[in-house]
Amino acid sequence: MVGAVLLAAAIALAPPPDSAVVFANRTAFAEECTGAANALPDRLARQARTAFAELGWEVGGAVGPAFTRRSALTSAGVAAFYVHSHGDLYWDTAANSRVGGFRADAGLCLGAPILLPSEIASARRGAAAASLVFISSCHNGERASRLPGAFGIAQRKVQGGNEPNSFYVSYVGTAWQGAALRFERAFWRALLDGATAGAAFDRALLVTYDPTHLSPEWWGGYNHMPHAPAAGLPDLGGRRYV
Amino acid sequence: MSNVRLSLALFAGFVAACGSPGTALAPSGEPLGEAAGLTVRPIFTIAALLLEPTELRGLVAQPYDVVRSESGEQRIRQVLTSVDGGETLRIESALDGSLRFIAKSGVTLEGGDMTTSVAVARALRHLVRLGLEIPPGGPTVSQVAARTIVVWTRQVRGVPVPGDGTRVVLNGAGALVGLAIEESALAAPPVRMARGDAALRAATLLLPYGATVEDAPDLAWVLPTEGAGEPVGQRVSRRLAWCVSGALRDGGAFELQLDAGSLALLGWDGVP
Repeated sequence: MVGAVLLAAAIALAPPPDSAVVFANRTAFAEECTGAANALPDRLARQARTAFAELGWEVGGAVGPAFTRRSALTSAGVAAFYVHSHGDLYWDTAANSRVGGFRADAGLCLGAPILLPSEIASARRGAAAASLVFISSCHNGERASRLPGAFGIAQRKVQGGNEPNSFYVSYVGTAWQGAALRFERAFWRALLDGATAGAAFDRALLVTYDPTHLSPEWWGGYNHMPHAPAAGLPDLGGRRYV
Repeated sequence: MSNVRLSLALFAGFVAACGSPGTALAPSGEPLGEAAGLTVRPIFTIAALLLEPTELRGLVAQPYDVVRSESGEQRIRQVLTSVDGGETLRIESALDGSLRFIAKSGVTLEGGDMTTSVAVARALRHLVRLGLEIPPGGPTVSQVAARTIVVWTRQVRGVPVPGDGTRVVLNGAGALVGLAIEESALAAPPVRMARGDAALRAATLLLPYGATVEDAPDLAWVLPTEGAGEPVGQRVSRRLAWCVSGALRDGGAFELQLDAGSLALLGWDGVP
């Protein structure tokens, strides 16, 4: 009986298949924490929200203190996930290794709670592999990060046969916000132009950000089109990318 | 080089054609107009240099489009699509006809481990083949996600213009994925330059408790709106700035950009 209630509750809480979330850490980069006004987290989040919405996703999430560990884990089962925050190869005591992850906002300059890949994997238990995951943070594009796996995405690049219907993007090493803004703007624009995720990534590499400030990485299917299942392909006036 | 001269009237027609997709221009290398005005290379002449003859078969040119680049430059965009509507090639030219941007779609993720010198040689070969200027100075080469990026950063008066210059992206076998040439507008440098140590002192006053700055600020041409404001639809001139780097109390790197004359805060960048 209790099990049935819990299952029903889980089903009721599970995000619908067309859901996406966008989270951004504003506080850690705000003037009171860094000494300079910084609108970049809001701009990065706005770009992602707009793109997700135009790709047909129902967009939730939070920017600023409402981006807590709890709010992010509650919605981790969505099909499209974007976060901009501090990221690192954080230590997971259960795994006894460095595994990646990112910090919530929680209204804190320093020491905001960390979301580990294992926690995200638990929160997503039973969910299908995510369609599009963009972790706009340092280090989570590295092989050591287990975030792709937490979202059901294997760390391999596939182009051609048997491509997964998933695409994961993040950054290797340290990622500067100014460069990320340019790269991500180009990536979203290309997706909205009808590019496949891989072609959008290639297009974004052509934006003249400083390569010493950003090293993007991707995993998944090059030709994946990460629009919401119910939305269909965007109206490209007869054009699309391959 | 086969150029097409467009009359201003034709140009206006192309602008009007924006947003009327599917009406393909007939692929033709013939001049479209002879009046004084704009000059662009037709996309088929570029495609012939980049694609195999079999790949060219059945491609259709989409109507010209007028777009703005990242730096706000007005450009004429041309797109080639295959019969099934898939985009094969996109190019952008400045209004003076200079080729600024090429993107090929779906370039294979071939393996291969090009050395830096081979990557530079391949990038140069692509530039020469396309009739583009060889940028001055030495490029930087980086490997990113199975692609190789070769970048010549623009320098003006010995000061770098980050993000400006020539960028060539290759696959693992050296094939062209795309190239971009960016040249932002620059504001006049300040009449009186502030000294680097004055910039350091000004930056220190702006930073929160526990932050540290590095000893030597660098000069760069920066976009004043990048950190705080919204991007604007027109060309914003870059300004000469002292860039002061350092670390916040939690170790996160930052860079403050201060006007090289007044030391007013122009922008901020940080590491998430």
